[in-house]
Amino acid sequence: MRRAVWLVLCIVIVAAPWLVAAAVPRQQRYVLHVLIFTALFAALALSYDLVVGHVGSLSLAHPAFFGVGAYAAAILATEARWSFLADVVAACLAAAVVAALVGVPLFRLAEHAFAVGTLGLALVASVVANNWVQVTRGPLCITGVPKPTLGPLAVTTLPAFYWLAVAALVAVGLLYQGLTTFRLGRAFHAVRDNEPLAAAAGIDPLKYRLVAFTIAAGLAGGVGALYVHYLSVMCPEEMTVALTVNLLVIVFLGGVGSLRGVLVGAVLFTALPEVLRLAPTWRLVIYGCLLLLVVIRSPGGIESLLPRASR
Amino acid sequence: MLHGLTLGAMYALVAAGLALMLGVARLINFAHGEFFMLGAYVFWFGYSELGLPYPVAALLAPVMMVAFGIAYQRTVIRAILARSWHVQLIATLATSIVLTNLAIIVLGTQPKEVPTVLSSRILDVGGFRVAWQRLLVLAASLVIFWGLHRFVSRTRTGRAMRAMSQNREACAVVGVDVQWTAMVTFALSAALAAIAAALVSPLFNIFPDMGTTLTLKAFAAVVAGGFGYVNGAIAASFLIGLIEALAGSYVSYAYKDAIAFLIMIAVLLWRPQGLFGRRIGI
Amino acid sequence: MRLALTLAALLLMAVSAGAQAPPPIRIGFASAMSGPAAITGEGVRWGATLAVDEINAKGGVMGRKLEAFFADNKAQPGEAVSAVRKLLDVDQVDVIIGQTHSGACLGAMPVVKELGVPMVIEACSHPQIRALSGKGGNEWTFRVALDDEIMAYTFARYMARQGVKSTSILAMNNDFGHGAANAYDAAFKKANIKLLSTEFFDPGQPDYRPVLTRLKRANPEAILAIILASDGAPFMRQFRELGLTQRVFSRGSLGSAEFLYQVRDNPKIGDGVIEASYWITGLDPDWDKKWTERYKVPPRIHGSLAAITLKWAVVPALEIALKKHGKADRPTIRAALEEVDVKDSPLGPIKFDANHQAWINMILIEIRDGQLHILDKLPTSPALLN
Repeated sequence: MRRAVWLVLCIVIVAAPWLVAAAVPRQQRYVLHVLIFTALFAALALSYDLVVGHVGSLSLAHPAFFGVGAYAAAILATEARWSFLADVVAACLAAAVVAALVGVPLFRLAEHAFAVGTLGLALVASVVANNWVQVTRGPLCITGVPKPTLGPLAVTTLPAFYWLAVAALVAVGLLYQGLTTFRLGRAFHAVRDNEPLAAAAGIDPLKYRLVAFTIAAGLAGGVGALYVHYLSVMCPEEMTVALTVNLLVIVFLGGVGSLRGVLVGAVLFTALPEVLRLAPTWRLVIYGCLLLLVVIRSPGGIESLLPRASR
Repeated sequence: MLHGLTLGAMYALVAAGLALMLGVARLINFAHGEFFMLGAYVFWFGYSELGLPYPVAALLAPVMMVAFGIAYQRTVIRAILARSWHVQLIATLATSIVLTNLAIIVLGTQPKEVPTVLSSRILDVGGFRVAWQRLLVLAASLVIFWGLHRFVSRTRTGRAMRAMSQNREACAVVGVDVQWTAMVTFALSAALAAIAAALVSPLFNIFPDMGTTLTLKAFAAVVAGGFGYVNGAIAASFLIGLIEALAGSYVSYAYKDAIAFLIMIAVLLWRPQGLFGRRIGI
Repeated sequence: MRLALTLAALLLMAVSAGAQAPPPIRIGFASAMSGPAAITGEGVRWGATLAVDEINAKGGVMGRKLEAFFADNKAQPGEAVSAVRKLLDVDQVDVIIGQTHSGACLGAMPVVKELGVPMVIEACSHPQIRALSGKGGNEWTFRVALDDEIMAYTFARYMARQGVKSTSILAMNNDFGHGAANAYDAAFKKANIKLLSTEFFDPGQPDYRPVLTRLKRANPEAILAIILASDGAPFMRQFRELGLTQRVFSRGSLGSAEFLYQVRDNPKIGDGVIEASYWITGLDPDWDKKWTERYKVPPRIHGSLAAITLKWAVVPALEIALKKHGKADRPTIRAALEEVDVKDSPLGPIKFDANHQAWINMILIEIRDGQLHILDKLPTSPALLN
């Protein structure tokens, strides 16, 4: 039964461009555009959940890593003319390196200080992106980032980019599953649930937190690179603290620590506003209220409200 | 630099309230900046719309915000007080978003100006010019901090607050009214933010987003001063204000807002437990 | 049976009556409806709504009513792309007016070309837009507003004629501010004015004292402030507080009714400011009156620009399209825009050149005795750039 559901879901996802073209022919480009954003946001949220959900560190620095990756890819693609795959890899590495560097001092801090410290990092990164005009062009943005090319294939049409985004999401999802199960996953959860006990059992909390933090940052950087190649521009506004708020909503609304929950959260978060078509300020009010209710009433998110289907 | 001290005073008033709540009630309140913002709008309403004289309007702000603070405590805070601080942070962050955007919807994005007599009159001492209002901010904050210190050390409720910040369980055993003390702390915290708003708004202007950066900087001060230690937060705030003003004037104006956080990060790298260490109590 | 026939007849009449009313022409407006620049989007929405109501009250354009749709670009290029897609695919608009902010304009331009919808830019001032538009470039984008290169060269020469030898720039830390600062940097060189320093400030932050201290130290003869009215008010107050004496020239909306409203407790605070612009209240008193009646505040620049773009650029194009070709679809409107030749809009002549740029008038505004005065109205042309 479950296999069948999975199979159908996979077919729907792969065939989406044709299904959308058939269902809403006049709006298909817009719908695909929303789906691409959804896939990219879902991947970003999964990377964030690694840190928040599985290692239990409330980091608020994710926009900084997304931004580092995005700018790295944008600059390498426009100034140095690197190929798509090369600049995506470079973006992941750059973000991961930054995370490793700041992670060491940050994780020495007590929990509250850690959160505020990561917030400070995100803010400083945002201010630097906006003002270091020689490198990032500041508010004038980096423009003209070319469309991705995978060897002989050029990803220029919307359906092509959709499949690329979905492929990326699948890759991130598989990595997420792999990291959060088996011994590594158990170690992460031990650190999250009972740090002193974990330490006593020989699991170094600092090391495991840093590992999760760095990998998550690398993934965020990769998503940033994809984002930049899709939009062909990168501006400092894309990496503000507001991005953290969006990620928090997705992760907590959907279900922190759960693959399915985060995916559901991402779909709801990106699709719902399009359906509701509310004024942007009201949209934020509703997000805030939803987040408040969810975090108070059912911090497990929607995932915890669904019947416990054994995975 | 006088300006740095004025900025520092503003940050200190806000950060003190934040530190009080952290120390006494173990509560992270990301919506603290909104007390400031709403206090400013209440002041504007009293001063500009109702035409009340400045001192009356300035006192109206903390009074209304105390009421708001109590309402906030009974609704949101009560639900999250016993929960993990992750939950507290996210819940109060969500509240902050709701309040800020409701303010945009109800009050509009156009900034409000509330110039007072003191903000327009300039004191000119040998070429050094400063609006009288800035001196008022400094003087008033010193008076308030002195009053706060007396309250915490001399009055019963104040001592209860100190006791709670040191050992909450023992308080309940000894017969301290924990609920009442927590509520007073909350009200005090809101009032401090509101007074800061009433003092500072005539110099700047009022807009719905004004609380968000302030919350972040106040947190930076609280963390740098040693989590929950009020005097530490105040000291760190003045430090941040001074360095921000000096750096803005002499180094780079564009990076000014990042200064507070760079200071905080520097402090934390040097002393991970904050400037004044793991001081128990407020 | 007879009942059924009557009902059928009534139904047929209703359907044909409905079918007889021609469908409305859909106009999309994109601007910053949320985020730090939300005040501009609000203005655009107000101006657009007022203008569309005005046109529809007179019977629409050759019998076709107009319908306005709005999208939020958050003043960012990425969101501008989403806004264009939404207006096109979801709202099915025939023409777009927007995007107000230069970054958003530049981001949207490739997409409107790819998707084939004409976009008439009402306010973006980045010079690159002109270089990229028109014959041989992006044939789907048109601009009514003047860009900062055109204005900078003219304004810098004016400042030099006023005897200014040295200046500092204070600009908003966004796409508008940086684009303008770059343009004036080049223009000051050409006008032989020494540029002593350039400072950027974050819009919305109200503490100008540190930067004013820096400016006092640099001691230029004049300050060029690239600033909007909402920031201009605290800036001028603190300028006076610190007792600075430099001449203030500005580009943005400092010399505007909106600014005077913000400082209405002490209107002379802005005295002496000279602003380079292309719009001011008083160009269309009838519009000003309607705006103030409806919205209770003085007319806002971006809203009025959107309305003028609609009434004097897009509507004439619609008329040309309907008269010559009987239809108003996207390619036809695009071609019709190239033929628009309006002599007497409130902004001046609107006729798009080979780069799809309209050369409207530049206005120099002075604040004197707490009021706005038009110092000079300068027609513009490509010759100004030499």
